[in-house]
Amino acid sequence: MAGTAGDCYPSFSKRIIALVGGFGSGKTEVSINLAKYLVRSHNFPVTLVDLDLVNPYFRSREAITEMETLGVELIAPRGGKFYADLPILLPQVRGLIEGHEGMLILDVGGDAQGTRALGSMSGIFPQGKYEMLMVLNSRRPQTFDVVGCIKTMDRIAHSSKLRFTGLISNTHLIDETDEEILLEGFHLAREVSRESGLPVVFVSAKRGILDRMDTAIFGCPVLPLDRSLLKPWELKENQDRNQPNNRKG
Amino acid sequence: MAKRLMKGNEAIGEAAICAGARNYFAYPITPQSEVAEYLCWRLPEVGGIFVQAESEVAVGNMLFGAAASGKRVFTTSSSPGISLMQEAISYMAGAHLPAVILNIMRGGPGLGGILPSQSDYFQATKTGGHGDYRVIVLAPSSVQEAVDLMILAFDLADKYRNPVMMIGDGMIGQMMESVEFPEKYREPNKPEESGWALTGAKGRDSRIIKSLFLDPEKLEENNLLLAEKCKKFMANEIRHELYKVSDRNRILIAAYGTMARICQTAIDELEAEGVSVGLFRPISLFPFPEKVIHDEAVKKNIEKVLTVEMSVGQMVEDIERCVQGRKPVEFYGRTGGIVPTPNEVKGKVRELLKLTA
Repeated sequence: MAGTAGDCYPSFSKRIIALVGGFGSGKTEVSINLAKYLVRSHNFPVTLVDLDLVNPYFRSREAITEMETLGVELIAPRGGKFYADLPILLPQVRGLIEGHEGMLILDVGGDAQGTRALGSMSGIFPQGKYEMLMVLNSRRPQTFDVVGCIKTMDRIAHSSKLRFTGLISNTHLIDETDEEILLEGFHLAREVSRESGLPVVFVSAKRGILDRMDTAIFGCPVLPLDRSLLKPWELKENQDRNQPNNRKG
Repeated sequence: MAKRLMKGNEAIGEAAICAGARNYFAYPITPQSEVAEYLCWRLPEVGGIFVQAESEVAVGNMLFGAAASGKRVFTTSSSPGISLMQEAISYMAGAHLPAVILNIMRGGPGLGGILPSQSDYFQATKTGGHGDYRVIVLAPSSVQEAVDLMILAFDLADKYRNPVMMIGDGMIGQMMESVEFPEKYREPNKPEESGWALTGAKGRDSRIIKSLFLDPEKLEENNLLLAEKCKKFMANEIRHELYKVSDRNRILIAAYGTMARICQTAIDELEAEGVSVGLFRPISLFPFPEKVIHDEAVKKNIEKVLTVEMSVGQMVEDIERCVQGRKPVEFYGRTGGIVPTPNEVKGKVRELLKLTA
């Protein structure tokens, strides 16, 4: 029997969740969807920090309207610097990491270059009170096998100066993802788990695919994804663009 | 090979390797920098080299020098950087040197912004440098097409011994899409077999590669040779695609690159509303598919031609030229990095047909 996606959502006992991974692993969509799920299902505040200091496009800040409508606080440069390709690390991020309230999701930029931002703050991360999760996508050139994944993780651990606590299996080819690709990625995540000793904390994939599958086979929680960062031609029936072009900062 | 998920910029870098190119010169600039970021570790794996120059002016001249050796050479940049290379592109065209130049366009003029734009159409297709030369200009609309055209660009550059440009708006470089590469990668070419490259004159007459001709007869001869090439581009290298073009169309949209995909969404949705619109997408912006757009536009059922661009109107001038006043040519565009939505395109079509939503 196919389980309904989301029968078993991920839950966290820690306050800070840092999502890291190779470029294109899908950290941003996972971060946005995790924030959406947590704010809907819990009574505590959820803050999403766009810590992507390396990408100029397709960053979680583009979902600012959606996030704010749902009650997620989104931390990203505002005003003219919203679109900047400068490595801007906002001062309030430190305060949020040291704070005590609500859940904090850090959407960190890709690869070791992207995680350097974490490295500069590693000293203030409260011991044992954070998750640093590696987002894995086996369809990306540098993480298609165990060796590639472990290498990428080593580079990220080195530059972030933080310890990994788990893995997220997020293998996808965007809209071309099917069950087979999802399972291929999950098997890789399990192999990486055996090799690294880290648990697969959850599997994430597009809702439609998960709905067709028996998600019990994963033996771990599942996070269904609804894409937020659409390409302009994917905007359907009078949807407006993500970019808050006329937004005042 | 299994389909992979790649950012346009990375995929373009891999495509160059697939085409046998091993000599890359560049200077980082958003939204193109990932090409260099990718190639700085990938090229050494295949015995290639990446030289990060001190400026785009230097890049252009490095390209000229390396191209003269007959090896496949290329660079990638974004709008302001491409402006700085124009002198060298003119020199390379004048000296009949093959090179591939990628422009991932951002909003201009000047430093402009870092978001997608198509406002370098004039610069690319009408030649940004001085003198009587033209370059072939290719415009992909997806990451897969960017890979395919990048490989083609090297073949065309060699075939005509002329610079070839590929231009894409920032989206082409920054977006992730699934992509497949040919199973067989090309071996690097052999300059000593070229018949023109500077490979050392031992055992043969020396060769001179230059764009300086002080004798007016010789300079005119060179210009006529370039004009001959241009005729060959027009005869052999026109590429385009039509989408939902039929005798029920009331409007024909002309758009290229990712803008064409946005128009496709608008066309699909308008079709569902009972409004028939077709799309003409030039893939080679130079040579421009002049006859195709002319013949499609003059068909009886077409009331108006609508050009949609991420600019204040550049390709529209070519459309007007080709349609020769036989149908009204309208324009819709956004700039500054604002990408028109399917909804905006639909709105413009309805306005032109005096329909209410």
